Amino acid sequence: MILNGVEIRDTFAEAFPMVGTRLIVTADTPEWALVAGRTTTGFATSVIGCGCEAAIERTLSAEETPDGRPGVSLLIFAMDFASLKKVVPLRLGQCVLTCPTTACYAGIETGKRVPLAKTIRYFADGHQISKKIGDKRFWRLPVMEGEFVCDEDTGSVEGVGGGNFLILARSRGAALKAAEAAVAAMGKVEGIIMPFPGGVVRSGSKVGSKYKGLFASSNDAYCPTLRGTRPSALPPEVGSVLEIVIDGVSFAAVAEATRVGIHAVCAVGEEGGVVAIDAGNYGGNLGPFHFKLREIMGTEGGAA
Amino acid sequence: MSGVSLKPRAPFEARVDFSGITPAVTGPLTLRELEHLAVPHGTRSVPLAELFFIEGAPEGVLLIEIGDTRLDGVGAGMLEGELIVDGPVGAWAGRGMAGGILRIAGRAGDFLGAELSGGRIELAGDAGAHAGAASSGSRRGMSGGVLKISGHAGARAAERQRGGLIIIDGDAGEGLATDMIAGTVSVGGAIGPLAGRGMKRGTIFATSVPALPAGFVDTGAHELVALALLARRVPELAGLKDWGRARRLVGDTLLGGQGEVLAPG
Repeated sequence: MILNGVEIRDTFAEAFPMVGTRLIVTADTPEWALVAGRTTTGFATSVIGCGCEAAIERTLSAEETPDGRPGVSLLIFAMDFASLKKVVPLRLGQCVLTCPTTACYAGIETGKRVPLAKTIRYFADGHQISKKIGDKRFWRLPVMEGEFVCDEDTGSVEGVGGGNFLILARSRGAALKAAEAAVAAMGKVEGIIMPFPGGVVRSGSKVGSKYKGLFASSNDAYCPTLRGTRPSALPPEVGSVLEIVIDGVSFAAVAEATRVGIHAVCAVGEEGGVVAIDAGNYGGNLGPFHFKLREIMGTEGGAA
Repeated sequence: MSGVSLKPRAPFEARVDFSGITPAVTGPLTLRELEHLAVPHGTRSVPLAELFFIEGAPEGVLLIEIGDTRLDGVGAGMLEGELIVDGPVGAWAGRGMAGGILRIAGRAGDFLGAELSGGRIELAGDAGAHAGAASSGSRRGMSGGVLKISGHAGARAAERQRGGLIIIDGDAGEGLATDMIAGTVSVGGAIGPLAGRGMKRGTIFATSVPALPAGFVDTGAHELVALALLARRVPELAGLKDWGRARRLVGDTLLGGQGEVLAPG
């Protein structure tokens, strides 16, 4: 399959089940909401080292938030529910509670409950105030700046982590341009995040290592400087590869983001120096979710 | 038969205890069975048909036409469905109710919604004393649900309340929220003397700062994000969005209480 001169390789992205949740963080200004969002989702690129994968899903206008102030919605994913319950209150307590003017609300109503203020209310040292009207409880924590308002807990979803595709391009510049175009387009898809820096990974990994105790190591088959010395997946004209990793609340959301992202890369096309789209997988035996690139792009095949 | 309509044959000569006769009870019964349902009337027990004309009504509804101030315990113990009274009721209406809707078109006697734990009571007229309070001898009053009083409320509304929301559109009598444990009460009119005495936690929303007992401390005026949240989440409190700053008075500190009175400030 070739779209605008870009080869879509006949392969699939292999993804894993993850447990995720959504937080709505508001603040007096959109800038401070973004500060809170970026801080809370900082150091959360990969579960391997960060304990969770998190990012800003999208920004919210004042009309969309529970308290009528501008905000951001954040998605946080972990490998299992127990870890999610651990990382969310930690990030909430260190990054949202501390950030000027913020408030934090549940972004998912269904599923197992992830504690928010339920855990961090004790910071208020007995001065915390609970309000429960209907079946929703929130807390007011007196802080130096005023009050921190936070929902008791939020819901969770069984999501999908590690959806991905690789952009094989002639040069580093071309790969970066294409990746930026993909991230910009995918940012509009709801229910997904791209947890890596700017949404892009430059150091995709393979499973295992020659060194004992390392779970992941550089994906040498896609390292252009190793071409020829190792079994390589790169044709001679490829000079650089970037990966986009996608976590989402559902298979459909990740599939849609993959489609939108690849579409944007193909729009950059051969003239933009893009050679091919590939995907990372482990042979199909590890992750239950398979995103077959050609199937996902199949509906656009006619536009080749 | 699913819905029931009851119309008093004549004004009651003695107090009638209607507690336990809820839409869930009347719904499954046939007209004939309903006629023989025993109702305490004064010192005796009489069949329902002796007091009311009984007819069908829409699914899930129990309708009482005309109403009577001697009709006590209307909707008490209700769990689901809708009970409508097209007139006044006596004491203990909606006592211990845990779900469903109770609508009263007239006024209500004392202890309206006492120990309400869920569901919704809407009263078009005035309420007597102890609305949303604890029953005699009970330690805790209303714990959940919504009690909306469109008229005035008598003395000691929200006494020992520990949850839920009470809306009083008119004035509140003496001793509002006495010994309040938690929960929210919002008063649209004037608040009588001695409000909040013995208050442990909980919130009183007032339209202006009322005269409060000595144990209340004025913490000043604040911009509270919580008000914007409540205004959007709770339709009954939508008016809070226009408050701007809020005066916050905390009490009853003489008893170590951390309750609050909030007023636009």
